[in-house]
Amino acid sequence: MYAVEAVNLYKRFGDIVAVDHVSFAVKKGEVFGLLGPNGAGKTTTIRMLTGVLKPDDGTAKIMGIDVHEEPIKAKSLIGVVPEEANPYPDLTVRDNLTLVGMLYGLTQGDIEERIRGLLKVLDLYKARSRKARTLSKGMRQRLLIAMALISEPQVLFLDEPTSGLDVISARKIRDLIRSLAKAGVTVLLTTHNIEEAGAICDRVAIINKGHIVALGNPDELKIKTSKHMYLLALFNKPLKEEELAHYLGPYEYRVNGRKLSVICEDPGDVVERLLSYVKSSGVKMISIQTSQPSFEEVFLRLVRR
Amino acid sequence: MDNWRRTLRSIWAICWKDVKIYYAKGPIVVMGVLFPFFLWLAFQIGRGLEVKEGIAPLIAITAFFTSSAVTPIILPWETRQRTLEMLLARPITITRILIGDILASMLFGLSFSFLPVLYGLLLGIVPNNLGTLLGLLVLATLEFSTLGVLFSAMPTDVPADVVMISSAVKLPLIFVSGTFMPLNRLPEIMRCIALFSPLTYVTDLIRGLYGGGNYFPCILDISVTALYTGVFVLLTVKLHKITVIRRLQLK
Repeated sequence: MYAVEAVNLYKRFGDIVAVDHVSFAVKKGEVFGLLGPNGAGKTTTIRMLTGVLKPDDGTAKIMGIDVHEEPIKAKSLIGVVPEEANPYPDLTVRDNLTLVGMLYGLTQGDIEERIRGLLKVLDLYKARSRKARTLSKGMRQRLLIAMALISEPQVLFLDEPTSGLDVISARKIRDLIRSLAKAGVTVLLTTHNIEEAGAICDRVAIINKGHIVALGNPDELKIKTSKHMYLLALFNKPLKEEELAHYLGPYEYRVNGRKLSVICEDPGDVVERLLSYVKSSGVKMISIQTSQPSFEEVFLRLVRR
Repeated sequence: MDNWRRTLRSIWAICWKDVKIYYAKGPIVVMGVLFPFFLWLAFQIGRGLEVKEGIAPLIAITAFFTSSAVTPIILPWETRQRTLEMLLARPITITRILIGDILASMLFGLSFSFLPVLYGLLLGIVPNNLGTLLGLLVLATLEFSTLGVLFSAMPTDVPADVVMISSAVKLPLIFVSGTFMPLNRLPEIMRCIALFSPLTYVTDLIRGLYGGGNYFPCILDISVTALYTGVFVLLTVKLHKITVIRRLQLK
């Protein structure tokens, strides 16, 4: 049994198809990333998986329970931090958590105990009596995560959890995601931060225009989706593009002063061409290196197809 | 049993949240007392009416205004604040959220409607049947609270839009429902219009309970009030289920 299962999910709003028969499954304890540009269908997919929206077709299951046939039962197993959602600004940190605890049917004793624990872990204990409107964005996001965790969910949905946060707050949240995954919580997150997804997620699905265009481990995706290498060379003088074009004509390359980057399938051929260029132009090559494309580059190539 | 307890607890959670955020606020409390009182006073003064004659309309407009004052703005406001989606992602349905909102509004409406009842009791003005009056007030505040929530089915995140529409309906209702002038003294055309107002039957019964004479039989007043309540509940749930999706798409 999968922790999260999306089977042929389909949703349209008027003439616009937001999600077009999307299917994927997330294993228990996995950190799964749903990536895509704005308007790709990530949030609509999350909303269908969390029971906020009803799909026009297809099914969404949490721990084998159909979210739309047994919404209360399925929602009791999940914690959600929706995109751009807010805690109640006029309630205190403690009251926001109490409210969510009551919605999950927890007893007052359990609520109090869990609030204490979560506030300490998420570094919000001193702010417990402050109204949510007075919190910084990072603290507010941590409060939303605490609200999602108060029911001790088996599956956690995080829609853009680090969006707009400073480096320190974003790192705290990434560390928390890792520790939750270690504790066996399944995490499904969406993010715009491609490298972050590559670093945190066990698997990612790349979604574009409502379709899944790639699914797999971030490293596997790099290899599968791009046969290309990046060759980077540094010279002792600024390069003249007109001369270089004569040697690197068939390749996609970029010149930035003394730096050259070339996208190629066969770095050996590029090196031979560059050596010919060096001999004829009199410039000196200081260093040369090859690299795999970054996950961001893989993502861009996939969504531009 | 466990499911029922959880359901009731989640409804109570919404009610608790509403009281903390919307009702337990100085300006709302002051408004709940002052607005109906001064509206009533404006009609009472200068007409040489006895206090006894004025108690029934005061109770009716207090129940009507306080129960329908805040509910229209809750969902538009929560859409704008982006707290509604946070709620919908929890184990609660839109119907339970609406019940919680109505319950909070009823408690607010009831507590303020009791003030003129108590005022009357202090002056020795006692209704014919206190039990019926209290029962009617529970039903009336449920009816008017649901009416308020019905207004908020409009898929907007601008509370002022809903307030404008609800005020445009609520204010004229006071004048066509026999609140300040008993139905038998209203012109024929006004009496015909009054038949369609949910406030008419509540006012008529309260006036009868204070010895002012019913225009309609008691059983008809109660039946029509219950019927309106049922229709408002069904419409509210149906419309909100449709519009909640459009509400979530508002950015």
